[in-house]
Amino acid sequence: MPTKLDVPTLQELKVDEIKVSSSVLKAAAHHYGSQCDKPNKEFMLCRWEEKDPRKCLEEGRKVNECALNFFRQIKGNCAESFTEYWTCLDYSNLAELRHCRKQQHAFDSCVLEKLGWERPDLGDLSKVTKVATSRPLPENPYHARPRPEPNQTIEGKLEPAKHGSRLFFWNW
Amino acid sequence: MAGSKVKQDMPPPGGYAPFDYKRNLPKRGLSGYSMFGIGIGIMVFGYWRLFKWNRERRRLQIEELEARIALMPLLQAEHDRRTLRMLRENLEEEAVIMKDVPGWKVGQNVFHTDRWVTPLSEELFNLRPREELLHKRFGFLWYV
Repeated sequence: MPTKLDVPTLQELKVDEIKVSSSVLKAAAHHYGSQCDKPNKEFMLCRWEEKDPRKCLEEGRKVNECALNFFRQIKGNCAESFTEYWTCLDYSNLAELRHCRKQQHAFDSCVLEKLGWERPDLGDLSKVTKVATSRPLPENPYHARPRPEPNQTIEGKLEPAKHGSRLFFWNW
Repeated sequence: MAGSKVKQDMPPPGGYAPFDYKRNLPKRGLSGYSMFGIGIGIMVFGYWRLFKWNRERRRLQIEELEARIALMPLLQAEHDRRTLRMLRENLEEEAVIMKDVPGWKVGQNVFHTDRWVTPLSEELFNLRPREELLHKRFGFLWYV
């Protein structure tokens, strides 16, 4: 019997969105990955374990909060060098990071001296991490029907078949 | 034929100076082995530069992929919210449209299960203009 699909209301979905374009995000990506690491990893863990976006709205809200704080801090402290960096990235179609090394260096040193953030080294963001969370592991995330019981064990002595496999003409 | 008094073009007195007429094919230049060696050396140098640049390109690619990894939670959260918002709007529209149809349960699940099924883009963009669905499906494709 099909049940009703639970969709959260528009009020529950209302979150302060980050109104920022793609090159801005890409310019700040490495620092964002190292600073806002915790809520990000919790949200991804929740999403992948529950396999249901409706259950992870709270964590998504925390992700947005952390990102907003991050951008507010950058705007407060290192606005000019960040603006130069992302406008340089915005210039090319693919926003390749290797064309803007000078501005990246200026932005990194500004952020390091004002906020103490270090840019993560190559390969640091792709490392596998363990996430400590207070949410319990969901049992049966796929809502599977109860599995059938295994076959009963056969009591008694088992003999090999009397005339073999009896498949067509084989008698062994 | 004629006598020696006729003006003819004769060689200078004493004859011409001696000149080389024998074959002059001097052995010069590098030997074959060294030419091979230079060619192979240039090729090896070219390969070394190529491998170095490929490693550098791999490092650059890893950097760009890490930028994507860092941004994925944000984009995934926004995408989830957008999907849920569209489903909610579709539900409300459905309640308005089908309110006079007898026996219609609004918001009924299409499947017999409780789990979350990612909705198809056709289902999400059902009540919107066709351009939005086409943009969703083909907007970022570069090929045909």
